[in-house]
Formats: sequence, C-alpha cells, structure tokens
Amino acid sequence: MIEHAIRKTSKAVIPYITAGLPDLDTTGEIIEALSGAGAAAIEIGLPFSDPMADGPVLQKASHMALGAGFTMEAFNAHLRGWSSSVAVPLIIMSYINPIMRHGVDKTLRGFAEAGIQGVIIPDLPSDGREVFDLCDSIGIDLIRLVAPTTTQKRQQEVVSQCSGFVYAVSVKGVTGARQNLPEEVSSQVQRIKSMTDLPVCVGFGISTAEQVSDMLAFADGVIVGSFLMERIMNASDPASAAREAFAGLMCA
Amino acid sequence: MKGYYGEFGGQYVPETLIPALEELEDSVDRICSDDEFHREFSSYLKDYVGRPSPLTCAKRLSDYYGLHVWLKREDLNHTGSHKINNAIGQILLARRMGKTRIIAETGAGQHGVATATVCALFGMACVVYMGSEDMRRQRMNVERMRLLDAEIVPVRTGTATLKDATSEAIRDWVANVDSTYYLLGSAVGPHPYPTMVRRFQQVIGEEARQQILEKTGDLPDAVIACVGGGSNAIGIFSAFVDDPVALIGVEAYGDGNGHNGASINFGIPGVLHGARSHLLQDENGQIKDTHSVAAGLDYPGVGPQHSYLAATRRARYELVDDRQALDAFRLLNRLEGIAPALESAHAVGFLRQYAPGHEGETVIVNLSGRGDKDLHTVLGERS
Repeated sequence: MIEHAIRKTSKAVIPYITAGLPDLDTTGEIIEALSGAGAAAIEIGLPFSDPMADGPVLQKASHMALGAGFTMEAFNAHLRGWSSSVAVPLIIMSYINPIMRHGVDKTLRGFAEAGIQGVIIPDLPSDGREVFDLCDSIGIDLIRLVAPTTTQKRQQEVVSQCSGFVYAVSVKGVTGARQNLPEEVSSQVQRIKSMTDLPVCVGFGISTAEQVSDMLAFADGVIVGSFLMERIMNASDPASAAREAFAGLMCA
Repeated sequence: MKGYYGEFGGQYVPETLIPALEELEDSVDRICSDDEFHREFSSYLKDYVGRPSPLTCAKRLSDYYGLHVWLKREDLNHTGSHKINNAIGQILLARRMGKTRIIAETGAGQHGVATATVCALFGMACVVYMGSEDMRRQRMNVERMRLLDAEIVPVRTGTATLKDATSEAIRDWVANVDSTYYLLGSAVGPHPYPTMVRRFQQVIGEEARQQILEKTGDLPDAVIACVGGGSNAIGIFSAFVDDPVALIGVEAYGDGNGHNGASINFGIPGVLHGARSHLLQDENGQIKDTHSVAAGLDYPGVGPQHSYLAATRRARYELVDDRQALDAFRLLNRLEGIAPALESAHAVGFLRQYAPGHEGETVIVNLSGRGDKDLHTVLGERS
C-alpha cells in the first residue's frame, strides 16, 4: 500500500525512472537496485513521444527509450516480474494517450493485475470521472498533482479525486533539476495537508540531498526524477549508477 | 460537456495550466458580450488587416475545370495569410487580461509573422517557437519575424517541426504562466482555444457567404479549404454549416506513401497538445512523424471541431499530395496570376479531383495565404 509505505519511514524518497532505458531488463535491475537502496516506492515512467510536462532530461530519456524499441506489449509483460521482485509499491506515470490507445479500462486493469499499486496521469482532465471510478473499483491508487497555481477551491476538488498520496508540484514549470526551489512550497504543502489525511509528497526540481531533507521537514515524501535519469542515461552500469545516485540523495 | 465537440476536445493539460485556462475562458466569455471589444476587433480588421478580403472570380481556372471557382483572398491580408485575424483577436484579449509577454508556435511561419506583427503593433514582448527544420524551409519568415523584434527559439526535438514547436511553447507557458499569454495559432489545443480561434476566424466565412450571395445570388455548391490544424477551414466552414453546402477539408497526403499530415484520413482519436481529436499515432500510442511539402500542414493532429464534423459527416476530408499541391501552385500562377501558399495550394489542387462529375457547380476555395514564402521550395523541387 502506497500510503503506508510513505508513512512508515521518516525519509520517504520516491525515485522516478523512465522505462526501457536502455532496455526493459535493465529497468528491472534498476528497480531492484533502488528498492535495495531504500526507496519508499518507485515511479516508473512510460516513455511518450511528446511529454508536455517534462524538461530536457526526461524528454531525452523518453526519446532514447522509444528509439531503443520500447513497446507497450513488452512493458506490460515485464510488470508482474518487477512487482514481485521488490517489496516496495510500484507506480506508473504515463501521459494519457498511450493508455487511451490501448483502452483506458484494459490498460489500467492490466496494471492492477500485474501488481502495480498506483498511477499518475499528468494530463488526465478533471472531468475524467470514469477513470477515477475505475481506479477506485480495481484498487489502484490514482495520484493527482497539485500545482503552485492551483486555486484553493480546485485544490479541494483535486485532493478529493486523489488516493495514495497527493503530488505537490514544487515549481511553475516542467520537470528538471533546479538549484533553488521556491519558498512557497512549504505553505503549499501545509495547505494541502489541512484538506486531507493523505500523505503529501513534493516533486519537480529536486536534485540534492540538502533539498531532500529541506522538503522532508514539512512534506511526507519527495520524488526525484531528472537528477537520477541524467546519471542513469550516462552510465555504463545503469543499476549501480542508480543505486549510487539515490544513496547520495539519502545521505544528508 | 463543456469544451467538447461530441467526444472531441477537452482540457488534457498539466495541472499548472488549468487555472490559466479557466482565466482565459472567463476572459473569452466576457469579450463575447463586450461591444467595445467587437468594435475594436472590427476596426483593426478593417484598417490594419485590410478586410474585407475580396472574393475573386477565377475565370481562367473556372474554364480550365468547367466549374465556377471563386477564391476567398486571405492571401491579400496584411502579413499574407488568414493567421492575422486570430492574432489581432487574441492580442486584444491578452491586453485586456493584463499580460505583458506573448509566446507562439509556428510551422510555416505565417502565424509567427502574424504574432510578431501584432506584438510590434502593441509594443509587447514576443517569443516564437519554431522547429529548426521549418526554420530552414521558411527562412524568409524567420528574417521577417526578427525584423519585427521577435525572439525566435529553434526547437530541435522530435521532428523539429510544428508539433515540437507547439510542445515547447506549452512548456514555456507552464513555466511563465503568470506573465505570459500563449497566442495559439490554430483551432487546436485545450478548451477554450479551438472555440476562440474559430470565433476570430469566422469572419472569413461570414464575408464569403455575403459576397457570394451578392455576386451570384445563390449559395455555393461547395466550400473547399486546406486543413492542418484547421483554422482557415473552420473559419470559412462555420458560416455555411447550416446551409445545404458541401464542406470539404483537404488534408496533406505528403509523399502519398505513408508520410503525410492527414490526421482525419489516417489517424485514430487520441490526445495531443491538450485536446482529443484524430491523431497520427502508432500502435503504442506514440505520435507519428508527419510529412508535407507545406510546413503549415505538417502536423499529426487536427482541431477537435473538424474531428466532430468528420464523425458526424457534416464535412468530408480529402487528400492532395505534395506533387499535386506543387502543380496547383504553378497552375494558379499561370492561369490567375496568383501565387498561393503551398498550404492553400492543397485546396486549389483538390479541384482536379472534384471537377469530374461536378461540371457547372459553384465552389469557393479559401486561399488562406500567399506563396512568396514558398518560392524557394517550389523552385528547389523543380531542379
């Protein structure tokens, strides 16, 4: 259970990795390495040709994975193996089009049956009631994003559609490491917490151990993506690179 | 449901943009009932753009095909295409919203030029995203935009064309949403863009309908327009949608061998750039590479209202390939002394397919832009 996995540690760090880089077997090795290094949960990104919310690093990761021959069929075939090899919850992040192409119902049911515990769909519209209900009925957490621009009224609505944890986006902008994160994140997280009992995790821009511990002073968890993928993409041994980079984030 | 045409449209965007779209929607609603806005918009269209644009009887082309062909001359607008209508409308809106920085995407460069022009007119900062491949194909428009003081950002990701430029403009908007207005150039994107862009372009159809009635005393049999994202087509179609008039969109068939921009003919409904519509995608839901000799038609998606008009069979969508468009470009030069944009040449090129069996019919072709920008492409093709 995602909520429990985040609550049970005082240092909940959720790594994000793009699947299929350089291939899906290596993705499995990276998942095991990150789990061994103490990840609270692992977010697996499904590569997409036009990732609207992603910065240069994750765009490049997507394009490299697609260039290496990523297919949805092979991805689905690996899920069960990944989820049974580690104790931590696995979460899939995907833009809506690849999910829609295969049928939203069929795809999400397939994820749930393969032991995936949560999904993040950054471009899912808030009128996507069918998807909310489906996730609820098949027992997969639907993690929704709250942005710095989200109005208070809308925060209520988004949080009420959310399960697993609330994903607080730290910056106005796309994914990618930032040297400085805005001061307002703390008050944003406090406000969300006043609306829900779910854990609140902060993501986008986090790339140093110091930022991780700063965020964990008020948030229940953090998500780190671009920083890790940059190291994984450039490594000859991606699993070791992932383990080392992740361990570095945990040691402040 | 709000923002949908049947099952097409919607707001499939990252959360950061939702409040900006809500703000935009409120502002669009306000100007709809604002007479002062309409006066201002009409006055710029008349005195700056040069509207109404003529409806020209294409006599020799008519004789050539045995049809009565009328050309709606959007090519004669200031900046050389229909794009300026929408750019004027949106910049007036952006000013009312208190935005200080304008961003835009561009394919052929016509929307980029139109946006840079209205930004110069109103003294606003302007950033235009353009695929590096399109910058190469449309060098003249790049230079024009620079003269207009716009900053051009080359986009090298993906196929380095309109699709990628649009994604990059959206990313800029996500990061600078407080100060920045995204002046989207086609009838695509999340609600309320498709509806708003149609509103600013429907002047094309309103004029054309009135002009053809004045000149012939009757409605045309068909209205033909090229469709990339589809703003010129929806602009002219919307005035005829309740009339007994055939509405024909012409999509880019590219090399005729699998590389094209014909989303309605070959696409499957899906989500790109914030809306659900017909989309050229592979079996994994990844967006396909597209191709057209006309940069403005080199786009894997289409406006949601076109998807709806196709699904309800109110409009039909036909195919013209690169070669046929280039032939039409030359033909219109030779017979009428008019150089159409390669995009618009697709609409002209469809007459060859349409004429047999329709002899004596009256058709309006929307000549959405002028072809000066395409001369070196056309000359290059010949050598």
